[in-house]
Amino acid sequence: MTEPGTVTERDPAAALVTSAPWTLISGAVKGVAKKYSQDRSALLPVAGGRAVVLAVADGHGSAAHFRSDLGARWAVEEFTACARAFAYEVVRVGGDAARWTGLREEARRLPQQVGHRWHERALLHDCNAPAHGPAVPRRTAGEREGPRDLAAYGSTLIGAVLTEHMVFCWQLGDGDFVLVDDAGTPHTPLSTGPDMGDETDSLCEPEPWRKTRSYWRPFTGGPPPCVLLSTDGLSKSFTDDQGFLDFATGVRGRAAEQGVAAVQAQLPDWLARAATFSGDDTTLVGAIAASAQHSDDS
Amino acid sequence: MSDTTQILADNFPGGSMASRPVHFIWMLDCSGSMGVNGKIGQLNFAIREAIPEMQQAAQSNPAASLLVRAITFASGASWHVSDPTPVDQFSWEDVHIYGGTDMGAAFKLAAGALQTPPMPQRALPPVLALASDGQPTDDWRAGLRAIDGTPWGKRAVRVAVAIGDDADKSMLKEFLGNPELEPLQAKNPRQLAAAIRWMSTAVVKDASTPKVDDGSRATTTPIDVPSMTKGEDDIW
Repeated sequence: MTEPGTVTERDPAAALVTSAPWTLISGAVKGVAKKYSQDRSALLPVAGGRAVVLAVADGHGSAAHFRSDLGARWAVEEFTACARAFAYEVVRVGGDAARWTGLREEARRLPQQVGHRWHERALLHDCNAPAHGPAVPRRTAGEREGPRDLAAYGSTLIGAVLTEHMVFCWQLGDGDFVLVDDAGTPHTPLSTGPDMGDETDSLCEPEPWRKTRSYWRPFTGGPPPCVLLSTDGLSKSFTDDQGFLDFATGVRGRAAEQGVAAVQAQLPDWLARAATFSGDDTTLVGAIAASAQHSDDS
Repeated sequence: MSDTTQILADNFPGGSMASRPVHFIWMLDCSGSMGVNGKIGQLNFAIREAIPEMQQAAQSNPAASLLVRAITFASGASWHVSDPTPVDQFSWEDVHIYGGTDMGAAFKLAAGALQTPPMPQRALPPVLALASDGQPTDDWRAGLRAIDGTPWGKRAVRVAVAIGDDADKSMLKEFLGNPELEPLQAKNPRQLAAAIRWMSTAVVKDASTPKVDDGSRATTTPIDVPSMTKGEDDIW
């Protein structure tokens, strides 16, 4: 389970977190007409700030997924716990390319660790307080019990580990991971194209790690100026994909022109505006590299 | 717009934003039997009367843009309202009876509209609302397969009302595509009005709300249906 104090669930109005060479930003707004948000997020500097762990999770939120706020919380907590240990290893390996293969093997195992830990927590919770009432035993002797239905807790998850040498990212379900390069060009290496409706892969499915997409990239020319993770409430508010990609480029541009503090201050308003169009909870976490920052920030 | 709001809007980084469309398609039986005991007249009345409530339901969710159109089927099928019409501009011209019950032809027409394109990928699931009083007279299964073969058709929220005792309820249940759902039953004008109102309000609200599905279950989940208790004024 999560070590106390390791997850930084940020208040949107909180002060900027600096983790050289990064400054971290975050914002979250509740969907229009929703009682509460089922999104959760985390930002965590690791190894004295030499690595950063970022995560967002989007609890499904509809009646069938009435405990998805818990599912989203556990998703970021368990990811952060696993990714924190991994981040120390990434820092240890650093730029030693000979050891990158081992690192990537470890990265491939991470979704399974997170999935198991999430399922353990959901199972424990559901055993203590069954989502669908007390189970009626229907098994005959020798018959095995089928997998427990954890749909009530369903959540997506996007997580990343970022150092000055490389980035690892994992994504299960919808939402967006964007790298903006020095030229301001946004890259979405884990995108599977436009979603239809609101269907998504989820942690509540059996063996969710099989549907987790992953990405790894060493930074040969230095770290990218901007890395953003967001729930789908943001991208679905734009009339097309390009509008969302322009948003990512714009965040990087505003950070350079106006400073990261100004971006952080305006982020809740930007997300609130998006949420009026998507109707969904909208959450974003990001890391802005020092090279991309306005001189007043440094 | 205040100065501060204008500055924030001007400084917004990104392209244009818009709510997602919800396409609502009426599929209405205009067979000869709908002329018996005033069914077609009551259907016209019920749809026309439900429009203000439909508009209200749509306004309550600004994150969705409701677009309405209608198909009639009898001897063949045709678009009664062919353009996806914003609900606040939607009005109702009466439909009239003209022959058999070619429901399969209506399904094929709807399937054509549910292809992408013309349907955008960026949308909320469409609503298919079917009203019928009889047995289909053409190959409705082929039409249903055509709907199921489209990306939006298999994700559509489907609702149906059986008008009178002669409606093919097992066929309507198959159209719904979810064993947990039953078609509504209307045996008198009051029940038909309640069913049409429910389709125009509760179903519209449900379809207009962003909701995630994990893909492990049918996309159409039961919505609270109006009670259709047997009444002494049953005439159909």
